[in-house]
Amino acid sequence: MSKYAMVIDMDRCIACHACEVACRSHYDVPVPYYRNWVHDLRPEGVYPEIKKVSYVGLCNHCDDAPCVKACPTGATYKRKDGVVVVDKDLCIGCGLCAEACPYGARYLNPNNNKIDKCDFCIDRVSEGLEPACVATCIASARIFGDLDDPDSKVSKYVSNGALQNVSDTVNVGPNIYYFDSHNNFQVVKAAFPPKVPKMPTPQKVWTNVLKPLFYIAIGGTFLGQLAAFATQLFKGESDVKE
Amino acid sequence: MGQRTSKLNEDIKLDHDLLRGPRHLTFEEKRILANRVMKKHGVAGVTLHWVNAISWFLLIFTGAALLSADYLKFAPDWYLDMMNGIFGTKHAMLHFHIAVGVFWVTTLLLYGVFGYKNYLLDFIKHDLTIDKDDLKWFPAKAKNLAGKLSHYEMPPQGTYNAGQKAYAVVVAFSTVTLMITGPIMAFHIGSPAIIQWSMMLHFLATMSVFAGVFVHVYMAALFPEERPAFFSMITGKVNELYAYLHHYKWWKEVKNDEHVFFAKELKKDGIHLSELEECKSIKDHVVHINNIEGNEL
Repeated sequence: MSKYAMVIDMDRCIACHACEVACRSHYDVPVPYYRNWVHDLRPEGVYPEIKKVSYVGLCNHCDDAPCVKACPTGATYKRKDGVVVVDKDLCIGCGLCAEACPYGARYLNPNNNKIDKCDFCIDRVSEGLEPACVATCIASARIFGDLDDPDSKVSKYVSNGALQNVSDTVNVGPNIYYFDSHNNFQVVKAAFPPKVPKMPTPQKVWTNVLKPLFYIAIGGTFLGQLAAFATQLFKGESDVKE
Repeated sequence: MGQRTSKLNEDIKLDHDLLRGPRHLTFEEKRILANRVMKKHGVAGVTLHWVNAISWFLLIFTGAALLSADYLKFAPDWYLDMMNGIFGTKHAMLHFHIAVGVFWVTTLLLYGVFGYKNYLLDFIKHDLTIDKDDLKWFPAKAKNLAGKLSHYEMPPQGTYNAGQKAYAVVVAFSTVTLMITGPIMAFHIGSPAIIQWSMMLHFLATMSVFAGVFVHVYMAALFPEERPAFFSMITGKVNELYAYLHHYKWWKEVKNDEHVFFAKELKKDGIHLSELEECKSIKDHVVHINNIEGNEL
């Protein structure tokens, strides 16, 4: 089995946004949403020691994906090859997954009121093509491959020290790795740290209050009626109609 | 008219006496009442009850399997697998749930619109409004179940007793909630926040009804005293002994209407009350009813 992952080689990225545009045109992503993005940070430092960093991001296809856990209907699930996908037919557009995602990689598509996000162009990959963003990258800064294959480019990048965007508080096993040799990734992490998965109020009430309450209520009425019926069986029925 | 009126005389004598208030019945009186039937539900009511019951059954069984997130669901994994197996795919199950839901909402709306005057208003007025006698019913029923209070000492009840009414109120509120939140989720109407609240309210409404359904089904189908209520949901009729013992206020109302109607019919037939000298109790009774109802004959 394969475990798909992507490496962003920050040393090679020239922040041309071609990947973003390719993705947008391939999937008709409405502005201002993204399946895949390049966020340009402000230049830092004093001339000539100056640097400008871009955050190249997309769905991290996490091993322990909070969005998969949050989805009430099972529309979002993780495939065996590691790709996290949204089954549009089951999606009700509740947005719980988007609130849970530490990377802000999901958006509600206003065209159909359903959630959309990067799926590693799994339709293209299954036909032997590369994802649209990878195919279009002029600097080969995006590398897509299989982590289970030790000879793949991504595996080699990872063994050479490519890093995930994780923090001490949030580490859900992301599968996007960042490689750089100028400590630029630290700047990106400081600007876009993974967010703690959020749960909206109604779902908090549901899971913390309603669920235990109804287990008690339903269990109680069921057992009560069971006891009543047992008593009735024990007593037997009277012959007189009343 | 001799034989006809003397038979009426017998029946009405008993009614007249019992209309004064609930009291202990002799065996003979019980026998007479048990052999008479009274209409409790019209065809519309019976049909709606079973359409509603079957819809709820299908919707609860599929709905429970549609909810698959660990922190929200209450059905075990094997149940989800089983339902997915029965329906083939989760998509088919979701479409089935939505289709039954649409059918259910449409049926209720049609009833609400076309039956507004004849059924809905009446239902709200009589079956959802809890009065003073109803409040006394709850502690009395507890004593009755414990065997410390007989039927005759129970506060008299209308078409439905206070327990049935309280559950009807829960069901009515839940039904309205489900009719609104269901389409919001099924057709993705509104922002994620609206859908998130809808999901929670959908769950709350369903569970409120589900928590009471065991009592509802047990009381109606298995509990010996209330069993006539179960058959009334098929035939539309109950025997008068049950009506007298469990729903005295309703029994009285029906009897009053019946006798007012009866007196009018007699008049149409050309039989004036003054001619009914030998049938004194009918006359007494009609006068008695006139006093209560203020009806003119």
